[in-house]
Formats: sequence, structure tokens, C-alpha cells
Amino acid sequence: MSNDVAPKRLKLVSKPSRTADKVFFAVAKAAGYSSFVLVAAILFFLMLRAWPAFESQGVVNFIFGAGWNSTSDPQVFHMGPMLYGSLLIAAIGVALAVPMAISISYFIAFMATERLAKVATVIVDLLAAIPSVVIGLWGLGVFSPVAAEWGRMLSEALGFIPIFSNAVDIFLRSPFIASLVIAVMIVPIIASITREIFSQMDQEIIKGAMALGGTRESIFRKVILPTASGGIVGGVLLALGRAMGETVAIFFVLNLTFDEFNWFKILEPSGGAVASLVLARFNEALQTELSALLAAGVVLFVVTLIVNTIASYIVDKAQPWRKL
Amino acid sequence: MTDTLSMPRPKNAAPWVNLGGRVRLASWVASIAPSAIFVAAWLGLQLDFMAALLTIFLPIQLAFGAWAGFYSYGRKGVNDGLLVVVTIFFSTFVLVLLGSVLWSVISEGAAALSPHFIYQNNRYITGTTGLELGGAGHAILGSIIITGITTLITVPLGVATAVYLTETRDGARGIVRTLLQALAGLPSVVAGLFIYSMLIVSGWSSQVGLMASLALIPLMLPTISRVAEESLRLVPTELRNGALALGAPSYKAFFMVTLPAAKTGIVTAILLGVARIIGETAPLILTAVIANETNVNPTAGGMATLPTYIYNFLYLGDATSLQRAWGAALVLLIFVGILFVGARIASATRVGTKPKRRKK
Repeated sequence: MSNDVAPKRLKLVSKPSRTADKVFFAVAKAAGYSSFVLVAAILFFLMLRAWPAFESQGVVNFIFGAGWNSTSDPQVFHMGPMLYGSLLIAAIGVALAVPMAISISYFIAFMATERLAKVATVIVDLLAAIPSVVIGLWGLGVFSPVAAEWGRMLSEALGFIPIFSNAVDIFLRSPFIASLVIAVMIVPIIASITREIFSQMDQEIIKGAMALGGTRESIFRKVILPTASGGIVGGVLLALGRAMGETVAIFFVLNLTFDEFNWFKILEPSGGAVASLVLARFNEALQTELSALLAAGVVLFVVTLIVNTIASYIVDKAQPWRKL
Repeated sequence: MTDTLSMPRPKNAAPWVNLGGRVRLASWVASIAPSAIFVAAWLGLQLDFMAALLTIFLPIQLAFGAWAGFYSYGRKGVNDGLLVVVTIFFSTFVLVLLGSVLWSVISEGAAALSPHFIYQNNRYITGTTGLELGGAGHAILGSIIITGITTLITVPLGVATAVYLTETRDGARGIVRTLLQALAGLPSVVAGLFIYSMLIVSGWSSQVGLMASLALIPLMLPTISRVAEESLRLVPTELRNGALALGAPSYKAFFMVTLPAAKTGIVTAILLGVARIIGETAPLILTAVIANETNVNPTAGGMATLPTYIYNFLYLGDATSLQRAWGAALVLLIFVGILFVGARIASATRVGTKPKRRKK
């Protein structure tokens, strides 16, 4: 272990007890290995309870099929629309959030006066810590009517494009609104990572580029973005994981449609989200449906695990100064 | 606003100070004229604000920005002007959205807040009961109890994990770090399902406060261990080696030298960890019954917390229910704000300072 310091041959007047050290390191080691146990336990117990659902529905059908009905015979639990909806909302949310997050970080790091930068930093960092249920409350009570109006305008102006068409003339509870709420939630997450990278960036490189005749725009495009891109991508993937796992905020601003895929009509009030599905069905669920909900949890966990592993790998690569 | 077109330059770099006049003029014109045209068009033509913003203001502002860049720096300045306009436009949009979240919580919440809202519980309260009765007292208590139990379990575990990552040279550290980062992205609803499937379906326990505390552990652990790890890493190696050279065993060196030196970092870790879990909703809904009465026993009966209180009243959806939800959201925001400010203060204190000598 780390006793590379205490020389072995030295005779001490009072010998330190080695057992205490052993206990100390054993405790630390046990704590370190506890995260193995935790991840393994999560997977094991979820799989244990979820297995009946996978078995009765078939794994492929369960993940990719459509339909969720606990009263039909046989019962149908297919989470395809939910999974696709989660991915769709997360993708649109991230696509909306990335330009905003990069803008606000660039604004804070390179443009704003010191006082303005401080205020903006506090707002962004506080919003990164705000509970999602509060975002849900804001989304339902304040933002949904406004965003529905935006959706109506979009549909009236650009309705000839299939994405923005809306046949039912209801604009509330659509994937569009859910994506905007998700964007508001993840902008602070991406922005706080991006801002940190921007502020840690080597000023000498920027000054050098300026001395070579670089302008604000060319420095941003050719020096700042390439240097920070890895970190930004990692932050985006972390936010993507958060967006896919988001439960309560989406639950209140999205109409869940179990039976069919809503492939691209983002302004229509039907969509899906795995985590919200769990929340929506949990209280009424009996044994078989409960098992299906747990199976949905397993799928969600595996998907976010993959996304997050890629994210943490990229973030590590992009921030060499964080490495030991 | 006056000098946004130029990058910050060294103060003693005087030669291009003459550019200042042109830049300043162009910046002033480009920041005032489009807004004036926009306001005139918006009020004059009675357009919808968002539509006018996107179809009138943004193109005009972009054109003026490009002109200002051209006027100041010549052809290569055009892109600069566009970049500045786009950045400020998006930043303002984001700040307005985020500010709207804060403002609506504060203004709507303040309307619902009153002394009895802090200490009364929710018994006999339905969706239509007036605001003069009932409160979130039981939820505040529940939040404190559930968060407290989770903190008591997770802080030693998280700090010990940080010790494992910094003080040992074990081969599995990389994997543990990766796993912790993966856990950091664990969907909170899955954490709830985990405890539900492990302890509640199997009949070991019913849906009580303790289960909610357990469900929050996997969510809190990554935050604590990551921040604690970084603060332990900031402690200089010489300090440790000095203690070891004086004959202290490793555990004494850690508890008497390293840990006191990293104290503020550990405090920050705890505060950030609590801030991470205090607003979690989904796992609590799955693992603990949302009670309407004060319950301080985490092993029996349901327990409400601030997030589930908000969820509950948001679900009911009446006007007064929504007001209650806003009030609880403000209380929750104040909690988060206190933790946030505390973490800022703690992390602003220099890490690695000499621990004060204790007097006997």
C-alpha cells in the first residue's frame, strides 16, 4: 500500500501498531469496493424482479414493441414508444441546450464585465442545483402556456414541414414543450462544465493567437472550441444521461402515449419517457405490470450506464489537469 | 457593452488605443438602434413578442452587428460582430429563462408563505382548503430526517471511498472511479426501483422513510466521494510524508494531518451531496408513502418530504394546491440556496492551510 515512506529496517523506540493501519486500509478498501457491490446489487435485484416480464414479453418485443395494457388478455407491456420518446426528447433538448450553454459560457468567460459574469455564474450554478420537481412546477404552471403559444406559431408558420404539422390543434403537453423544459434543466449542467473549461484555458494560447492577428471569431472557432471540444462533448453526454433519466419534470408536461410511436410530430400532444412511465403506472401496477416497470428501469439503467461511461471517458481525456 | 468587440488585451498595449473611438461608436450604434427599431415595430404593428423578436429584431441586430464589426475592424471584423450578437442573444435568452424559474418560485412562493406554513402539517387538508390552514411542517421534518439518515450513512462511506482512491495504491482504483462516475448518472427513478425491488417487494419492509433514505444513497455517494477525493488530493504530499517521517502510523497521519488539512473540502462535499439529494422526488415516491401527518419515525408509517409534498399538490392541481406547491418550492429553494452558499464559502477558504493548534 502507500507505506513507501516508513523505512523497514529502522528501529523505533515505540513501534507503531501495524494492526491499526491494516484496519484503516481495510476499511478504505471495503468502501472502495462497495461501489462494485452497489452497481452489482442494483443490476441483480432489478433483473431478478424484472425477469418475469422479459420472459413473458420477450426481450426484443419488450424493448422495441408498442403497446402497454394491463387489462387485455394476454397483458401487453412493450416500452418501445417510451424508449424512443425518451431518446427523442433528450436529443431535441440537448440540441437546443448546447448552443445556449456554449453561448452563456463564452459570455461569462470572455465577454461580460466582472460583476455581470459573477451574477450570471451564480444564476447558472444555482439552477444546476435546483430540484427537478421545481422545474416541473415551473414548467407546468408558468412555461407550458407560453411554450404552447410558441408551438402554435411554429405550426402556423412552418406547418408545411411534417415535423411542425399538428393535426389535433392542441399544443400543450407535447414533446416540444418537454424538450424545452429539459433544455432549461440541462443548460446549467453543460454550462457549468463548459465555463470551467473556458476559464481554465491557457491564456497564453489565446494571447498568442491574438498576436498572430486572430479576431474574436477566428480565435473562438479555431482555438477555443477545438481545445474545449472534448470537455463540451463529455458535458453534453452527461446532460444526455440526465435528460433520459428525468422523471418528474417530464411527467407533468408530457402526454404519454403507449400504443404507437410518435416518430417526429413534436408539436402534437403525444410522446413517451421511460422514467415518467414508471411514475405514471407505479401506483396502480399489480404484480406482472410491476415486473414490467422494473424491466423498463433495467433498460433505462443500462442505456444511461452506456452513455455515462462514454461521457466520463471523454471528460477524463479532455481535462488532463484533473488527472493525478 | 462598449468594448464587447475586442478581446481583453494587456493594459500596457497602447498602439491600437486609437481604434477605441470607432469601436465605441459602432458598438453604441449597434446596441441601441436595432432595439429601438424593434420596440417601434413591436408596439406600432402590434406583433406577438416572440415572433417579432425572431423575425424583426434578430435579423436587424445581426445586420447591425456585422456592420459594426466591419466599421471597426474591416472585412475580418464582420464575423466578430455576428459572433457577439449571437452570443449575447442566446445568453440573454438563457438568463431570462433561468431567471424566470427563480423569479416565479420566489414571487409565487412568497405569496403562499406564512408562519403556519412552516410548522403546521397537512392533516384534514384537501385540494380546496384555503391557504390559512395547513402547511409543509411535516414535509420539512421529513426532508430533514430522510436526508439526515442518508447523510449519516453516505458521508463515512463516501469519504472512505475517497481515502481509498487517494491514499491507497490499489489496482482497482480506475474501475472504481469509472463506476462512481457511472453512478453519478444513475436515473433517480432507478435508485427508487432498486430499493423497491430489493427490500419492499421481498417483504422485508413496507414503504417507510428509512427505505427512502436507503434509496438516496447511490445518488449521494458519487458526489461526496468525487468532491472529497479532489480535496484530499489537494493536500500536499510533503505534509503526509512529514507525519509519516515523524513515526506516525498511516491512520494517524490521515486523521491528524491530512483530514484536518482537507476539512473545508470535506465540508463542501457534504453540502453538495445534501444539495444533490434534497430535491430528489422520484425515488421517494416509489419507496415511501406520502403522509399527510407529522411522522418522525422512519421505520413505520409514511413520511412526506418537501419534493413529494410539491409533487402531491402539483398532482392535485387546484389553484390553492398549486400555491402550496409554490410555497414548498420556495422553502426547498431556500434550503438549496443555503447549502449552495455554504459550499461556496467553505470552498472559498483555502484548502491545505495549517490546522490550528488546539489548546488543552
